[in-house]
This record gives sequence, C-alpha cells and structure tokens, in this order.
Amino acid sequence: MNAIEARNLGKRYQMRGLGPPTLFGALTRALRGAGAHTGHFWALQDVSFEIPKGRTVGVVGPNGSGKSSLLGLVAKTITPTCGSVTTHGRISSLLELGAGFHPDLSGRENVFLNAAILGIAREDVRKRFDHIVEFAGLREFIDMPVKHYSSGMYVRLGFAVAVEMDPDILLIDEVLAVGDVAFQLKCFDRIRDFQRKGKTLLFVSHALQSVEEFCDEAFLIHHGNLVAAGDPPDVILKYIRAYMGEGGYLYTQEFGTREVEFTEVKIRNEKNEEVATLEAGRPMYVDIQYRAHKRIERPVFGFSVKTGNGFYVFGSNTQIAKYPVDSIEGEGAVRLTIDPLTLMQGNFFLSLSIHSWDHAVQYHRREDWYPFVVKNITDAHGLFHLNSAWDHRAGG
Amino acid sequence: MAMIELWHMLKDRRELIQNLVARELKSRYKGSVLGFLWSILTPLFMAFIYVFFLRLLAGRGVPTEEIIIGVFAWQFTAMCVNGGMTAITGNANLVKKVYFPRVVMPLSVTLANLVNFLLSLVVQFAIILILLHLRGAHIHMLIVLLPAVILLHLVFNLALAMFMAGANVYFRDTQHLVGVLLSAWFFVSPVMYNLSFVERAAAQWPVLTSLYVVNPMAVIITAYRAITLPGVAFPCTTEAVAGLVLPLVLLVLAYRSFQRAQHNFADML
Repeated sequence: MNAIEARNLGKRYQMRGLGPPTLFGALTRALRGAGAHTGHFWALQDVSFEIPKGRTVGVVGPNGSGKSSLLGLVAKTITPTCGSVTTHGRISSLLELGAGFHPDLSGRENVFLNAAILGIAREDVRKRFDHIVEFAGLREFIDMPVKHYSSGMYVRLGFAVAVEMDPDILLIDEVLAVGDVAFQLKCFDRIRDFQRKGKTLLFVSHALQSVEEFCDEAFLIHHGNLVAAGDPPDVILKYIRAYMGEGGYLYTQEFGTREVEFTEVKIRNEKNEEVATLEAGRPMYVDIQYRAHKRIERPVFGFSVKTGNGFYVFGSNTQIAKYPVDSIEGEGAVRLTIDPLTLMQGNFFLSLSIHSWDHAVQYHRREDWYPFVVKNITDAHGLFHLNSAWDHRAGG
Repeated sequence: MAMIELWHMLKDRRELIQNLVARELKSRYKGSVLGFLWSILTPLFMAFIYVFFLRLLAGRGVPTEEIIIGVFAWQFTAMCVNGGMTAITGNANLVKKVYFPRVVMPLSVTLANLVNFLLSLVVQFAIILILLHLRGAHIHMLIVLLPAVILLHLVFNLALAMFMAGANVYFRDTQHLVGVLLSAWFFVSPVMYNLSFVERAAAQWPVLTSLYVVNPMAVIITAYRAITLPGVAFPCTTEAVAGLVLPLVLLVLAYRSFQRAQHNFADML
C-alpha cells in the first residue's frame, strides 16, 4: 500500500512584481491593456512517484529546485497546477514549527491551539500534555507567553506538539537544525521511533549525512524535475557529482602556482575498477597522474578526507608518512592506498594537494574536489570503524 | 448544498474553531487593561455622540434606545468586515504551512465577534430596560424573535467576512477601499437615524426607498428595533423581505467564491 502517490504533479507560479497584488494595480494593468502577464515558471514539473507505507524518503537538491514546493503539495498547503497527489493516513508536517503560535498566549494555550490546528482532539492533547512539555523541556516556562520564548524554545514546543500527534505520514522540512545538540538528538531518536512504528517519512534536508543515515530512498530534484530516485548513497553521489564537486555549486576550491598539475585522478576499489562507491573495510586506491612543468625538488603529495557535512576526518601527506619523493619532472603517477578503509558509511570528499617541502609554495590544490561514497557492509553502526574485540570470562 | 457543507465543516472542526475563537478573544482582551469593557464602552460613547449631535444638528431626535440598538448592531458587522479582511492575510504563516479548511479562519473571526456581540447585548438590554422603565414603557413581546434576528445578522456577517478574507488576499488594497465604503454604508444604513428619516425622500423617489430596504443592514437594524421597542414597526414590503433573504443568498455565494479562491491562497500570500 502506498502512503503517498504523485501523478504528473506540476506547480506553476505566476511571476509577480514587487509587493503584494492590489486592485489598483490590476485596474491600471487592465486599462493599459495587455502586459498583465509577467510570465510564469514551473517550480515543479511532471513529477511522479510512489512512496510505500513505512518508507523514509529524503529529498535532496540545490536551493530553489522545488523541494519545499513538493512538500507543500503533499501537505496540501499548495494546490497543484496539474497532476495529483494522494495520501493515505494522517499527515503531520514539520514545515514550519510553531506556525500558528500566538505570541500573546501562554505555551500551554498554544499547545492546545496548535494541536487543534493539526487536528488532534482536545482529550488526546490533555492526556499527552505532560509528555509534550517534558519532550520540549519547557516545564517551568509553559505558562509564560510564547513571545518571551527564545527561537529554540519555540521550535522545541512546535516539534513536541507535531510529533505527539502520532501521524501516519510525517513531513519534515529542514527544521531540525534550529534546536541545540541535545534536542536534535532527541528529535532523531523520535524519528527512529517513527520508523520503527512503520510510519512514512518524507524529509527535505541539506544535511546529506542525515539523508544517508535515515532514509531508505532518496529523491534528487533539480529545476523542478525529479532527476533521480533510489538508494540514498547513489542518489547523493549523483547529486554531488552533477551539482557540487568539480567546480560545482558546493564550496570547492582549486588553487596553486600550477608548476605541477593534477592531470587525472581515479578512485579504485580492490579489483582495480574505477568506482564512486567503496565498501567499508576494503581497500581504497587513488591513482593520481600529474604533469610537472619544471623540475621540482622534494615535492610533497597530500590528501585529506571530509564528510559531506564538512567534518574533517583525516589528512596526511608524503612528508608525514615519511615517504619523500626526491624530485619530479614531466609526467608521473602516484598511488595513494588506504587499506582497510575504516570509514563506515556516508558521503565524503577527497582533497588533493602538491606543495613544496617547506610548505612555502602550493603547486596545485583541489579542495573537496572528489566525492565518493562508502557503503557499510558490516552490521556495526557509526561513522568510523574501530577495530574492536570482545573477551568474556565467566565467574570470579 | 453550500450550507450543508459549511455545517459539516463546523461540526468536524469544532475544536479548532473553539480554539481559534478563544485565541481571538484572549488576544483581543489581553492587551488592554479594560479588556472586554472597551468593546462595550466604544459603542456606548458612539451612541452618546450620535444622540447629542443629531439633536444639535438635525434638530429632531431619534429615541436613544433606537440609536443604541443601531450602533451595537453596526459595530458587530463592522468588526466582522475588518476582522474578515485580515483573517487570511494576517495568518499567512499558518495558511502557507499547515493544511486545514481555510474557511475556518473567517468563520472563527465572525464567531469571536458574535461572542463579543452577545456579551455586549446584555449591557445593551440592561440600558434599554432602564430607559424604557423611565418612560414607563415595556419591552416588546416580539423580543422572543431575537435569536432569529441574531442568526440572520450572523449569516450576513459571515458572508461579508468570507468575501473580505478572500478579496484581501487577491487585492491587498481592499482594506483602503473598504474603509471608504464602510463609512458610506454607515450613512445609508439607519444606524444613527431610523426609517422615518427617509420618509421624505420616499415621497419623492419611491423606487429609491424600496431599494433602501434591500440593504440587509437596514432591514436587520430595523428588525432589532421592531422586536425590542414598542412603537417601531417593521416595513413588511416585498423589498424588505428580499432584504431578509439576501444574507442567505450572499452566504452561499461567499462560501462558493471563497472555496474557489482558497486554492491560490498559498501562492498569493
């Protein structure tokens, strides 16, 4: 059974000038004759998909690609221009937490109001009220007007109400980034809880790591089209490849004197195949070809790895590894071996550099240039693989 | 059809509407010290001003009771028009982000104003009873029809609130236009005068006068007066009856157009 079904879904927006529409404006346009149409654009076009019940789907894509419009259409706050979207079950959307909170009312009054807007019966709210307050961590502030709340408190209360509603389908639009770390962890716990209960989740995020971690499937949306759908690592890699790395949208940098240049870089697995997806615990090879335009004494080759979120994982070079290269001139190749690859799963960026022995001259550096994906083939969890063993002894 | 739909929605979303009405009333009265008192003092002051200046300028008086009834009834409608106007645009955040039947918004504004109106009616009737007692008169027997008149008034106000709520989304300058129209409408409705004031014009242009009572506000205010005060008659002409039916027609039209307009609310806000 499908929880969400979209058929040829499309949303067209009329391009409007600055400011809100006015009767005066409409009249003057009518008097001037044509020219009332300033054009339109498709925020979403011909999107079809099915999400079976119990699946978690992450939506990724650059800013302005139509992700939020998609969520709005599923939530029915936006009416489609063409096509249709059908949903089965109660929807709760975390599109804007605390939307509908009234600043003058207390937290308590707002909980009941917000729950009513989401369609929860007053009796249910009363039963779960303590839960909601506990989850939001606002016990001592609950009778204070929410206009005195901090933005974090606002979001916490909104989230608490929305998840306590016990929806069948939960829509999340990049809202979890607001709370502090402790609250984010609580939210992720709650999301896992939802997944265990077989609820359907659709969530938009720029935190690719979270999409990796939580989703069974990922959608890639670009210019209003559903470009790819499938296994999160593959879709994310496609996204990164097409719109991020290699001078793409993401913050990538390339600099240096170019006295030595990278000519070709290939990431290979243990079978020597050029791949984008590697498996945890297996070797990873990076074959780097370079061209030195002049003779360079004692160059240093370096690399570093960051996660998709920019977390610096590891960095080293031939100097640190005590593998000095005497001199280079013309073309040559270097092989970097990482064996075993102790990254567990997710999206990573490889940066490469060539610089002088005293770090004074940067010949060529490509920052966050090469994306790759690691798939976890073990049963363990986490970001890194720690070589661990157990030892058990019974009795005293 | 539209009425049945509206009734079902009212039943299904009872709790939401209750909450929104409570929110509206609480936020209206929390900000000021006198709170609810203001919503009674304002029309009372207005009534006092009209009584005083009408005597001064026109040289002929309208019974104070009639003016009080007119002003309170007018206030109810004016508040629904103004409240309806911001029902959607003032809650843009909510409308854009959460799905619920949009018609709940103008509906709850109207109901909040109804609660306000009913409370002010208590004060209004207390004053009228005192004034009548001083003149040795009694309240009219037909006062039992009060709920029916209030219901008709409510239907009319709800229709206006829905029209305004939708129109203000599409044309954000509606509020300026409505400000002007509302004061014009105030003068063509018998708020600070009564139907006897238009009798002279009636003699000259009979068509105009029959049209005058098609204005639901003229009919509703006169109905309030006729069922409360002795000596005020309701003009039982075809046009006046049309004025009584018009609110029902308007409600159906308003509901239909609101339902059609709401699809684009999220885009226009």
